[in-house]
Amino acid sequence: MRLEKCWFCSSTVYPGHGIQFVRNDAKIFRFCRSKCHKNFKMKRNPRKVKWTKAYRRVHGKDMTQDATFEFERKRNRPERYDRHVAEETLKAIKKIDKVRVDREARHYAKRMKGKKAQVQKEAANELEQSIHMVKAPAALQKEPSLTLPKVYQKQTEDRMEE
Amino acid sequence: MVQYNFKKITVVPTGKDFIDIILSRTQRQTPTVVHKGYAISRIRQFYMRKVKYTQQNFHDKLSTIIEEFPRLDDIHPFYGDLLHVLYNKDHYKLALGQINTARNLIGKIAKDYVKLLKYGDSLYRCKSLKVAALGRMCTVIKRVGPSLAYLEQIRQHMARLPSIDPNTRTILICGYPNVGKSSFINKITRADVDVQPYAFTTKSLFVGHTDYKYLRYQVIDTPGILDRPFEDRNIIEMCSITALAHLRASVLFFLDISGSCGYSVAQQAALFHSIKSLFMNKPLIIVCNKTDLQALEGISEDDMKLVMEMKAEAMKTLIGQGGEPTNDEGVLLTMSTLTEEGVIAVKNAACERLLDQRVELKMKSKKLNDCLNRFHVAMPKPRDQKERPPCIPEAVLEAKAKKAEQAAEKQKKLERDLENENGGAGVYSASLRKHYILANDEWKEDIMPEILDGHNVYDFVDPDILQRLEELEREEGMHQEHEADDFEMDGAELTPEEQEALAEIRKKKRLIVQQHRIKKSTAESRPTVPRKFDKDKQFTSERMGRQLSTLGLDPTLAINRARSKSRGRKRERSIDKGNQNGTDDMDVDGDQPNKKLRLRSRSLSRSRSRSKSRPPYEVLPGEGLKDSAQKKKAIKLAEKSHNKRNKDARKGEADRVIPTLRPKHLFSGKRSTGKTDRR
Repeated sequence: MRLEKCWFCSSTVYPGHGIQFVRNDAKIFRFCRSKCHKNFKMKRNPRKVKWTKAYRRVHGKDMTQDATFEFERKRNRPERYDRHVAEETLKAIKKIDKVRVDREARHYAKRMKGKKAQVQKEAANELEQSIHMVKAPAALQKEPSLTLPKVYQKQTEDRMEE
Repeated sequence: MVQYNFKKITVVPTGKDFIDIILSRTQRQTPTVVHKGYAISRIRQFYMRKVKYTQQNFHDKLSTIIEEFPRLDDIHPFYGDLLHVLYNKDHYKLALGQINTARNLIGKIAKDYVKLLKYGDSLYRCKSLKVAALGRMCTVIKRVGPSLAYLEQIRQHMARLPSIDPNTRTILICGYPNVGKSSFINKITRADVDVQPYAFTTKSLFVGHTDYKYLRYQVIDTPGILDRPFEDRNIIEMCSITALAHLRASVLFFLDISGSCGYSVAQQAALFHSIKSLFMNKPLIIVCNKTDLQALEGISEDDMKLVMEMKAEAMKTLIGQGGEPTNDEGVLLTMSTLTEEGVIAVKNAACERLLDQRVELKMKSKKLNDCLNRFHVAMPKPRDQKERPPCIPEAVLEAKAKKAEQAAEKQKKLERDLENENGGAGVYSASLRKHYILANDEWKEDIMPEILDGHNVYDFVDPDILQRLEELEREEGMHQEHEADDFEMDGAELTPEEQEALAEIRKKKRLIVQQHRIKKSTAESRPTVPRKFDKDKQFTSERMGRQLSTLGLDPTLAINRARSKSRGRKRERSIDKGNQNGTDDMDVDGDQPNKKLRLRSRSLSRSRSRSKSRPPYEVLPGEGLKDSAQKKKAIKLAEKSHNKRNKDARKGEADRVIPTLRPKHLFSGKRSTGKTDRR
C-alpha cells in the first residue's frame, strides 16, 4: 500500500481514491479526483493551471529545493527490518515535517516581505490622487488635510443674521 | 477408415433459384455495357462471352451436384442398400442421370449459339441470339426442376443419417417392436433414444458407442421387425434388415419372455427362425429381457421349448466359428433393463464374442502373419529346474533399507498438518513471518505502519537517518537566528480619518463602476430619454445642494442660481414652499436633512398642484413612449411576460379540458396499418 502523488495537482492519492491511467507507452498517470482527470483529458498543462502545486513551484510561490525533500525518496532496495531503525524513522518523520513546515512558512514570509509597505504606499497614493471625489478643491484649499470634509450645515445664527 | 459422412454435400437449389443464381451472376460478372456504335467484333465478343459464361456456370454447378452425390455402387454395400431402401436406387440414379443430360444439353446449346454468334451482323441480332441461348438453357433447367427438388430432399435426409462405420466393431440389436432394444442401448451407451410404450417408436437406425477392454464398439439400435414375408416389409423394417445383412457384427436378438410387448414368445420365435439366415457367421446371443416381470425359469413348457430351439440355433453359430463348443454361457442370457441386472453381462458377452471372432479372422488372414512375431515374448526353454532369481548386490540392498527407514522417521510436519491441528482453513491463519531472518527474533511479529501523516514510511527508511536529521536541525537553528535579526519596518500608516476618507473614495469609485455597468447592460432595453425630462428626478436642486454640501462646499449660491434659471413650475413650487414655511425658499434643504421628511414635503407640496394618483396609461414626458396606446401595449406585454401566481386557484392551462369527447378523426375511418378494434 503506497500513497501516490496526483500527476496533475500533486496532492496525495490515498488508497481507494482516484483513477490511474496507463498510456500505451506504459507511463502511469495517477489522479486524485475526477477534476484532475478531466483537466488532463483536456490536455491542460498543470504548470499553467493556477491551483496546482506544479504551477506554484514554477512560479516561485512554494519552495522547490530543500534538504527536507531529500529525506523522502523512493528507495527500491528492500531493507531488512530493524526495530530501532523503524522507531527512529517514525520519530524522525514528525521532526522532518515540522522543519519542513517551518521552512515553508519562512519562504512565504520572505515572499510577502514588503507587501505591507507596498499596500500602504498604494493607499496613500490613491488617497492623494482621488481625494477630489470626496472633498471639493475649495474645501481642500481651506483645510489641506486628506480627510473627509465637514458637511456644510447652515448655522441658525447665520440665518438669523440674514 | 473412411467416415461415411454425407453432410458435406452442397445444397441443391430449386430450378427457379438455380436459374436466378446463374443469370444474376452472369449479369454481374460480365461486362454490361454495349452500344450499337461499337465494332461488330466487339459486339459479337460481348455476347459470346455472356453465353459461354452462363454455360460454364451451369456446367460447374451441375458437375458438383453429380460428383458430390454418392454413387450407390461405389460405396459400402451396407450404405448402398440403406440408400436403396430409403430412397429407391432407380429413382435416385434417374435423377442424377437427368442432371447429367441437362448438363450435356446446355453444353450443346451453348456451342450452337456461339457458332451462330460468330456471324451475327448487328447488335440486335447478336442480342436476340444471346437471349435465345440463355432462354433455352433456362428451359432445360426448368424441365429438370423436379429432379433437383428430389435430390435436395435426399440430401437433407442423408445428412441426418447416423454415421455408422461398417468396418469397425459393431453390436446389432434386433427383435420385435417394444421388447426393450432402445432401453438397452440407452443403458450401455450415451445415446438418448426415445423409449415409448407404443410400437415402432424407433423408426430408423441409431448409433451409440460403448467401451470394452479399451476398445470402442458401435452399438446399433434397429427398429423392430415384424414377422412378415420379405416383400411386405415397410421401409423402416427394411432398414434393420439391411443392417443385419451387411454389417459384420455380433447380433443381440431380444426376446421379451413376459409378453408385455404385445407379442407372444411363439411369434418372436417364429420371427427368429425366419431371419436366422441373416445371422450366418455372426456371433449370436439371445437375450431374454424383462426378467423383472417374468423370470426365465417361470415360463411355460412350450415357450421353454421354443427358447431352447433358438438357443440351439445360436449354438450352431458358436460352433461354426470354431470357438469353444462347450461354452454355452454366452449364448442365452437374461437381463432386465429396468432393474439393470444382467445388462453389463450381456454387453460384455456380446463384445467378447465379437472380439474373439474378429481376432480369429485376423489371425487367419495373411497380413497378420507378418506382425505376429511382434506379439510374442521369447522365453528361453528351461534346461533344468534350478531357480535363478535376479541378482541384487548387498550394498544396494542395504542402501535401500536405510532409505526406507529414513523416510519412515523424518515425517516433516507440513504446514497443512499444522493448519488442520489448529482448527482448519477458516480458523487458523499461518504466520508467514515464522522464517524471517532478523537481528532479533522478538521482532518477527512486529507491526510497522506503512503510512504516517500522509507520507510513506518506507520512503524515509534509511540507516543514517538520525545523522542527517541532526544536521538538518542544526541548520534550522542557524536559520532561526538569522530570522530573529530582520524584521519589517513599519512605514507610515494612515490615520483613522484618512482611512475613513480612503474608504469613502473607494466606495464612490465602486458605485460609479456599478452604475456604469448597469447603464451598459440595460442600454438596449432602456429608453434613451433627453435629460430635460428627468424621469428619475435626479437633477433637482436639492440633490445638487446635498452633494455639494457633502463635498464640503456651500451650496446656497449654486442653488439660487439654479432656481433663478429654471422656469414656470419650479418657481411656482418654490413660491408655494415659501408660503408653507413662511421663510425663504432657499432654506428648505438645509432645514430638512432627513430624507423621509423631504419626500413627504415634496409630495405634500405637489398635492396642491395635481392629484397623487395617475391613470396607468397616461404618458409622462420623460418615459420615452409616444402616446397612451403605445404605453398600454407596453404594459400588456410586460404583464404577459411574467407568470403571475394563481393565488385565486383559478382553472389554468394545466387543468385538463377535453373540448370534444368523440372526435370524428379518431372514431371513424380505416387504418393504413393495424386493427380498428381498439378505438
